[in-house]
Amino acid sequence: MKKTRRWLPGARWLVILPPYAWMLLFFAIPFAIALKISFAHSLIAMPPYSDLITWNGTGSPTISLNTANYLFLLTDNLYYKSYLSSLEIASISTLLCLLVGYPIAYAIARLPTSTRNIALMLVILPSWTSFLIRIYAWMGILKNNGLLNNFLIWLGVIHEPLHILHTNVAVYIGIVYAYLPFMVLPLYTNLVKLDLRYLEAAYDLGARPWKVFLKITLPLSRSGIIAGSMLVLIPAVGEFVIPELLGGPDTLMIGKVLWTEFFDNRDWPVASAVSTIMLILLLVPIVIFHHYESKELESKLT
Amino acid sequence: MASEPTAATSASANGAGGAVKAGRLGAESYVRMENIRKEFDGFVAVDHVTLDIRQGEIFALLGASGCGKSTLLRVLAGFERPTLGKVLVDGQDLTPLPPYDRPVNMMFQSYALFPHMTVEQNIAFGLKQDKHSKDEISKRVAEMLGIVQMTKFAKRKPHQLSGGQQQRVALARSLAKSPKLLLLDEPMGALDKKLRSQMQLELANIIERLGVTCVMVTHDQEEAMTMAHRIAIMEAGRIQQIGTPDEIYEQPSNRFTAEFIGSVNLFEGSIDEDEKDFVTIRSPALEFPIHVGHGLTGFEGQEVAFSLRPEKVAVSKEEPGDPHNKARGIIEDVAYFGSHSVYHVRLPSGIKVMANFVNTQRWASERFTWNDEVWLSWGENAGVVLTS
Amino acid sequence: MSQRSGLSPGLKVMLALGFAFLYLPILSLIVYSFNESKLVTVWSGFSFKWYGELFDDAGIMDAAWVSIRIAFFTACASVVLATVAAMVMTRFLKFRGKTLFGALITAPLVMPEVITGLSILLLFVSIGMARGMTTIWIAHVTFCVSFVAVVVSSRLGELDKSIEEAAMDLGANRVKVFFLITLPIIMPALISGWLLAFTLSIDDLVVASFVSGPSSTTLPMKVFSSVRLGLSPKINALATLMILSVSIAAVFAWWLMARDEKRRQLDMQMALQQG
Repeated sequence: MKKTRRWLPGARWLVILPPYAWMLLFFAIPFAIALKISFAHSLIAMPPYSDLITWNGTGSPTISLNTANYLFLLTDNLYYKSYLSSLEIASISTLLCLLVGYPIAYAIARLPTSTRNIALMLVILPSWTSFLIRIYAWMGILKNNGLLNNFLIWLGVIHEPLHILHTNVAVYIGIVYAYLPFMVLPLYTNLVKLDLRYLEAAYDLGARPWKVFLKITLPLSRSGIIAGSMLVLIPAVGEFVIPELLGGPDTLMIGKVLWTEFFDNRDWPVASAVSTIMLILLLVPIVIFHHYESKELESKLT
Repeated sequence: MASEPTAATSASANGAGGAVKAGRLGAESYVRMENIRKEFDGFVAVDHVTLDIRQGEIFALLGASGCGKSTLLRVLAGFERPTLGKVLVDGQDLTPLPPYDRPVNMMFQSYALFPHMTVEQNIAFGLKQDKHSKDEISKRVAEMLGIVQMTKFAKRKPHQLSGGQQQRVALARSLAKSPKLLLLDEPMGALDKKLRSQMQLELANIIERLGVTCVMVTHDQEEAMTMAHRIAIMEAGRIQQIGTPDEIYEQPSNRFTAEFIGSVNLFEGSIDEDEKDFVTIRSPALEFPIHVGHGLTGFEGQEVAFSLRPEKVAVSKEEPGDPHNKARGIIEDVAYFGSHSVYHVRLPSGIKVMANFVNTQRWASERFTWNDEVWLSWGENAGVVLTS
Repeated sequence: MSQRSGLSPGLKVMLALGFAFLYLPILSLIVYSFNESKLVTVWSGFSFKWYGELFDDAGIMDAAWVSIRIAFFTACASVVLATVAAMVMTRFLKFRGKTLFGALITAPLVMPEVITGLSILLLFVSIGMARGMTTIWIAHVTFCVSFVAVVVSSRLGELDKSIEEAAMDLGANRVKVFFLITLPIIMPALISGWLLAFTLSIDDLVVASFVSGPSSTTLPMKVFSSVRLGLSPKINALATLMILSVSIAAVFAWWLMARDEKRRQLDMQMALQQG
């Protein structure tokens, strides 16, 4: 719809303003504030951090930047390890999620149209129930006298309970479980558009099913894989609830670290610094994701 | 076409309403597109088009996809702002006006009926925007429903209608406000072939009866020739030729138009004799010269193309008497269409000529068949000499 | 994908396993909510008693009410802002700052909640705003807008542009076109968006923990503090009720859509017959 010149610029900006202003104020500016506070000192005060700009008698300001917080993060083992560990755990979980989610998406895309929508709804339905509660469910399943262990012992497969809860493995399971719909949906959207005739042409030319999958289906579903992976990886890096409830004391994830820094240590400046660094680390995947999203949006309009 | 002016022509919203007495054409330059140029990011979609359309006329923009016809239509409607140029309707400059302020209405290719409204509400929509009284609106809606014969379906929603029915509603909706200019975007595009021919005539009749000035866009020659008073052939953003259907067909002004409409045989050659009342052309494709029975503004030696429609070519076994306007060849292909056959004849020069043969007698086509040696001939005014 | 011969047995198995994986945990919650024993995973008999205890727990009931109210207002505000944002993204062609706007709208989709929660709290503290239900509401709207905007943009993208053009052609200016034509047509998407925002808000733990005040404990916060200490059958009961309400809503929605679809089929048949 081409806008004609009669559309007053003033009126147009009036429409753009509410969401723009809201997001700038409540989403973008807070990051800047977090950055600012990451340079402050922690105080026993309300608010528990120092001012960056102090005014002395003659009315000129002195800006004191406390870079100790960052130095602390960069040198103290805990933080540096947590960042890496978060990336590692998130990556492994994303990969597992992809391995579980791809066959599901593929299978649903192959179902007849009527059943397809029901199947899709069934995949999405669990995510409409409380996230917290579903993680809670896994606590009951994975603990030492939990459902899984009781079942395996009853079957006779094992004699001693497997120690899964409060380890990294439980975290993997939790992330895969919680984020599965986010992986399946973009994959499905992509696979459902795949023209079966490509595959038929390949079979006709003598290729075997596995080869067809590897050389044709997989590459063509690349954008779905990337989208799904970004939708899982980025939030997973900063996850708090899952490592807190399902992970153990040696499960190092940066979301947990930030929480502890803020709620338990009451060290807001350090928490802000942790947050800022996490943001910077995630900037690249976020940009990739945004690039993909805008292209999707544009392709819907053309 | 002498018919009574309908109530629509006299009782329309803004006085004259832009309609003429049915069948008569009114003011010469009722719709004027002046020097229209439209660029999209460096791509020139419309390149300096100037058109004058008469009041009450049905005017067709004909061309292949990408020729710029749809862009031109959208400029008329107000959805595109021309890079240069003006649009005037009934003397009023519409160029700076948005679509909702123009006395122009459009029937879209996809019909674009409002899915959440009934047929009645769809037709009433435009009238409501002009703030007419409820009575006026319902009277007008009933009238329009009658014209397109959809009164029974007034309360239905678009998805409860067939394609043809939707088209009628779309037409009624676009005529409800008695626009000064009606625009049709590929009006038959969404219909199947059988319905198409029938609707072409019906649509043209309704529009003419109401005396509305109309510009239509199409890529279908048959549609343009059947429905329009005049046609403009467009190519690459430019107008190639404007004329009535028979002018365009029988007097193409250049090679492009000659080849665009129908089938044609083109012979390249040069002017041999240039006299006041006849011209002779020699072509390497033909053994005998071409004799044209009227003078031309040209000169000897000038390179020209001679365009000859297949139906003007006679086929015979015996050699015709005249020393010109004939050729000898072998029938290479026969395309049988039931009502007529098209013979593809290969001349000694290697050129293929198409000749139509109307099957006026049953089994007449058995007369000529593949590999027959035949003579082709045509009258001295059967073809058109093209200089471009 | 058009159909060939349906699913291979391997795919069938994988699909079945996938659904089992998704639903068994939920099933386990429900089953053990009726467990007599306090030890959640050791079955000792059928009982409703935990449901009784749940309703007696004022702390949980209050928190639930807080969450519901916040979720309701979050959903309403999110739909309004997101619809405007979606219209801007899909209908306004180019303007300075459009890329930034697009980034602001889509970034929250993937942003870890600890980052958004902490940052927005710091904002509230800087401007001296008291923490409470309002701050939770603001924070929730901020991230819900993105999700709703995706849903609405998707619907807007599918909408035939010529319908809006036809309305303009017939004399309606852009404001009228939006309210008379666009809005009614995309209403189903707005409703799904509303439900989505409601769910996200009522489910949020991390952001609410950062920005809540002394008397604005939300349901997830209450559940979390309980669950941190270990399993509790009351929570199972709560879980079952939540699952039940979502399922009922889902079945209802599916029934509505199926009924609409059937009506649509009948309409089309009717149109063809009398064509």
